[in-house]
Amino acid sequence: MTAADTATPKRTARTPRKARDRVRKVAFTRALNDALDLAMAKHDEMFVIGEDIAEMGGDFGVTKGLLAKYGPERVRDTPLSEAAIIGTCAGAAMVGMRPVAEIMFADFIAECYDQVVNNVAKMHYMFDGQFKAPLVIRTACGGGFGGGPHHSQSVEGWFLNVPGIVIVAPSNPIDAKGLLLASIDSDDPVLFLEHKALYRSRAEVPPEYYTTPLGQATVAREGSDVTVVAAMRMVPMALEAAEQAAGSGVSVEVVDLRTIRPYDAATVLASVAKTGRAVVANEAPRIGGLGAELSARISEECFADLKGPVVRVDGLDTPIPFSVPLEDVVLPDAADIAAAITTAAQY
Amino acid sequence: METSTLLGLYRDMWLIRAFEQGLEREFEKGNVPGMLHTGLGQEATQAALAWHLKSTDAFFPDHRCHGINALAQHRHGGNGERIMAELFGKATGVCSGKGGSLHSADPAVGNFGDNAVEGSYMATVLGVALAAKMRGQPNVACAIIGDGTVGRGEFHESLNMAAIWDLPVLYACVNNGYAISMPVGEGHASADIVDMVQGYGFESRQLDGNDIVEAWTVVGEAVEHIRSGAGPYFLEFKTWRWQGIFAGEFRPEAEVKYWKEERDPIMLAGETLAGRGVAPNDLEAVEQEMTGLIEEWIAFALESPEPDPAKATADVYVGWEVDSR
Ligand SMILES: Cc1ncc(C[n+]2csc(CCOP(=O)(O)OP(=O)(O)O)c2C)c(N)n1
Ligand SMILES: [Mg+2]
Repeated sequence: MTAADTATPKRTARTPRKARDRVRKVAFTRALNDALDLAMAKHDEMFVIGEDIAEMGGDFGVTKGLLAKYGPERVRDTPLSEAAIIGTCAGAAMVGMRPVAEIMFADFIAECYDQVVNNVAKMHYMFDGQFKAPLVIRTACGGGFGGGPHHSQSVEGWFLNVPGIVIVAPSNPIDAKGLLLASIDSDDPVLFLEHKALYRSRAEVPPEYYTTPLGQATVAREGSDVTVVAAMRMVPMALEAAEQAAGSGVSVEVVDLRTIRPYDAATVLASVAKTGRAVVANEAPRIGGLGAELSARISEECFADLKGPVVRVDGLDTPIPFSVPLEDVVLPDAADIAAAITTAAQY
Repeated sequence: METSTLLGLYRDMWLIRAFEQGLEREFEKGNVPGMLHTGLGQEATQAALAWHLKSTDAFFPDHRCHGINALAQHRHGGNGERIMAELFGKATGVCSGKGGSLHSADPAVGNFGDNAVEGSYMATVLGVALAAKMRGQPNVACAIIGDGTVGRGEFHESLNMAAIWDLPVLYACVNNGYAISMPVGEGHASADIVDMVQGYGFESRQLDGNDIVEAWTVVGEAVEHIRSGAGPYFLEFKTWRWQGIFAGEFRPEAEVKYWKEERDPIMLAGETLAGRGVAPNDLEAVEQEMTGLIEEWIAFALESPEPDPAKATADVYVGWEVDSR
């Protein structure tokens, strides 16, 4: 993937527009850009910080135009220094600023893991509520681009065992904007995951300021036979699989988690209680990941309602290889979710 | 420098240029997955380093080092085409297609592999150097990093430990003026990285990374110094990358023109060779020969098979198998 690939797509306005095209369809990246712009206008104490985010607008164009509007004090380029970027955000947040950092690729969070895990996530608790860390770490995650082992990982599992951090994981441009605005408003530290495969997805995004509540899942498709719980890129894949299943008479409900930690167990469990069958879909490796947590929780709390075991769809337990055919072997896709739905529906 | 040596380096620089230009073309065609960073414009720096490193040394290449990887593979392994195949993600690549442009390694030729988390091997290089020292081997461990990568905390940690333990490390800092878009003088306390290194107390030197004679001479001295057991050496090569931000150009037109038209390292070496009486035809022949060789490597990469799907789950562990789907 190159910066050129991910730049805001050009409009092609030659053909006469159909009525439905008159509504503003906005790319995921643009929706995030809107959110940052609106939040900077709202919060004087907010600044954005990261590598190549000012003039260049970030590797994926999410911060484009902010420098011109808000100036270099509030739109701050940094050297290649992830630990210092998040350390700066943490310190600034301790004294009431509201920083939004961009870590170019989620894989590089390993460089500032200590700051996030031992400082940012624990600050409020270990100092007995005297400090808050209202910062947001935006980062591009996920595979499917031949990016290889250091540009493709799904990192939510690295943080699932870290109390104090909020993990937000939108699946579409509308939620992306509302969730980012809510994340910036939040007084808790947020790890905001942007799946690269979704950056170019488009939707009718309301232009005004709105927030989408953190910690609340949504039912992306209603159904009665099987529940699929997913986040980020797994959601459009689950919807595709649900559509296929409908063709063979299986009614699938898709729950989009939207926030991965702390997650909305009530919505997940209510759906599984209704359908009696559960598939959990997750791009990261199976062991110790989101799918493991969801599967355990559903099995514990919906034991009486379940007609069969929870079926898990995950990435294989490997790093992500560079070769595209090998990456295809490792990462789950809609067909894998469809197969899991078929398995679950057999009970 | 002997004219024959200079001619050899001229060939090496052409190998790098032909490699990168061929790769760019294939990337445009969609034959090369992932991201592409090229070493175009930095051929003198790369050829000088590759020349002096033996297969028993260790080097950690960065994202612009296809050229060094290819030269090491060609010279020490006789199979430079395997670097090309790796970039195409093919089974015949040095990592069977699992690594790609940012993770090509072959320890048999001294290539210890890139780490796409920039600069992480600034720490790794210490261990390779320490082991050589503990075993009494006269080996050099070399970390090749860009100016931008100097921002990493490991930069400091590495230089400090190499200094206190007198480790045989060659730091090759390729200062091409920018990180992605960040000018070196804005991203660091000094635009001259050697100034930041002074305090560590070991040998350091800034040099013209586009002058192959100077680069080859200085790298040779630094490698000699390290091999003799005299401790680490830091080199800052002043150069300029032809590639802007991926395909886009963001630098001032005059700057681009200056570096491409007046400071092209291959052109400069060609002028020196012509001044020493090498015929234009002979220089032309080098270019053609190297371009021909690279086209063979590209053909090899294109014709090579995709990796066996079983490779996807192989080698996660040494002692265990991993489930497939
Ligand atoms: C830890 C880390 N942060 C950020 C990046 C993204 N990145 C890739 S190349 C690059 C700039 C590197 O600049 P420099 O070291 O000067 O090398 P150049 O590309 O100029 O040769 C950055 C920031 C990365 N790969 N790793
Ligand atoms: Mg640079």
